[in-house]
Amino acid sequence: MTSVLIVDDELFIVELYRDILQLRGYRVTGTAFDGEEALKKYTASTDKPDVIIMDHRMPVMNGVDATKEIMKLNPSQKVIFVSADVLVEKEARDAGAVDFLPKPFRMDDLVEKMERIASLR
Amino acid sequence: MTEKHDLKKPLEQFAFFMDILGHDILNNNQAVLGYLELILAEPGFEKKVRKYAEKAVPHIRTSTLLVENIKKVLATRDIEPSSLKPIDLMGPVSRAPKNLERFFPDKTIKVSVNSKVEKAWVMGNSAVNDLVDNTLVDTVKLDPGRSVGITIKLTEHECGGYMCWSVRIENPNAALPPIVRDREIESIYREDSSTAVRVVGMLFAKMITSNMGGDFNAKELRSSGEKRGVVFTITLRKADGK
Repeated sequence: MTSVLIVDDELFIVELYRDILQLRGYRVTGTAFDGEEALKKYTASTDKPDVIIMDHRMPVMNGVDATKEIMKLNPSQKVIFVSADVLVEKEARDAGAVDFLPKPFRMDDLVEKMERIASLR
Repeated sequence: MTEKHDLKKPLEQFAFFMDILGHDILNNNQAVLGYLELILAEPGFEKKVRKYAEKAVPHIRTSTLLVENIKKVLATRDIEPSSLKPIDLMGPVSRAPKNLERFFPDKTIKVSVNSKVEKAWVMGNSAVNDLVDNTLVDTVKLDPGRSVGITIKLTEHECGGYMCWSVRIENPNAALPPIVRDREIESIYREDSSTAVRVVGMLFAKMITSNMGGDFNAKELRSSGEKRGVVFTITLRKADGK
C-alpha cells in the first residue's frame, strides 16, 4: 500500500486529501501544516512515506525550501508539488519535486500521478 | 513568497491583497472540486443529484479563470518599454495542449500548429505567455462542442515599419458572443462596461498587446458569405537580432 505524507497549511485541504486518498486505498502516514513541521516529522519518522504531497505557500517554511531540505536527507524521496502559485513550478522541480499540479486540480489527476510514481518503485 | 512589496503605493497594496485573496479562492475551489468529485464517484446518488453536482463543476473552472485574469491584469503594471525583453512565442504555443486539458478536462481538444517555425522571438514580458494562454482558453470557451479543434499559425511579416510575428488562432466551430460581433474591441472598452465584463479576456489581450507596441484582433471567419468560426490574431514586434 502506497504511503503518503500530506503538507498544506489549510486544514480543509489536508482533510480533503486525506479523505480521498484513504478512500482510494492509500495509507496517510502523517500531516504537517508548514514546511518546518514536515521536515521535523520526516526526520523523526522511521516509516518514510513513499510520496509527499507538498504545498508551497505556507508559514514558517515554504514548500520549495522544505523540499530542498528533505532531498538533502533523502535524494530519492518522491515529492509531488501542489500549489495555486503556478509560477513556482520551475523552482519546485529544481528543488527536487517529481511532479507539479496547479490548484485547483482533479483528485483523479493526483491519484494518477501517485500511481505512476508507485509503479516506478 | 520572495516578491517584495512596497505597500506605500496604492497599486502595490491592491496587488498584494488580490494575490492573497486569489490564492485563498483557489484553495477553496480545490476543496469544492474535490468533494464534488467524491459525490460524483458515489454510485448511490440518484440521477438528478448527480446532474446538479456535474453542473457545479464548470463554475469552479470559471471562478479559477477569473482569479487568473485578475493576476494577469495586475501583471500589466510592470509593462514599460525599457522592461521588455525577448520572449519566444513558441513557448506558450507548445504548452497549449497541456494547458487547455487542464482548463477543460471534460473536452477533447486537438491543437494543430500549422507552421514549421521553431522560435518566434518578440519583445514582451511574462504577460505574453498569459496572453497566448488566455486567447487559447477563449477560443475553447466560445465553442459549445465537447470535441474542439484549434489551428495555430505563426507568421513573420512587416507591420508599421517594424518586423513582427503574428500568432493566428482559429477555431471553425467557435462563435463570438453576439454582443461583440462587428464591433471594434476598443469601442466596447470605451462605451459599454456591461458588455465589457463578458469579453474581459479580449480586452485584456488588446490592452497587453497595445502596451507592448503590438495588436490583437478578434474576427469571425466567413464561408460562402456565412459567418462561422472565430479567428484571433496576436501581433507583437519581433525582437532585434533574433
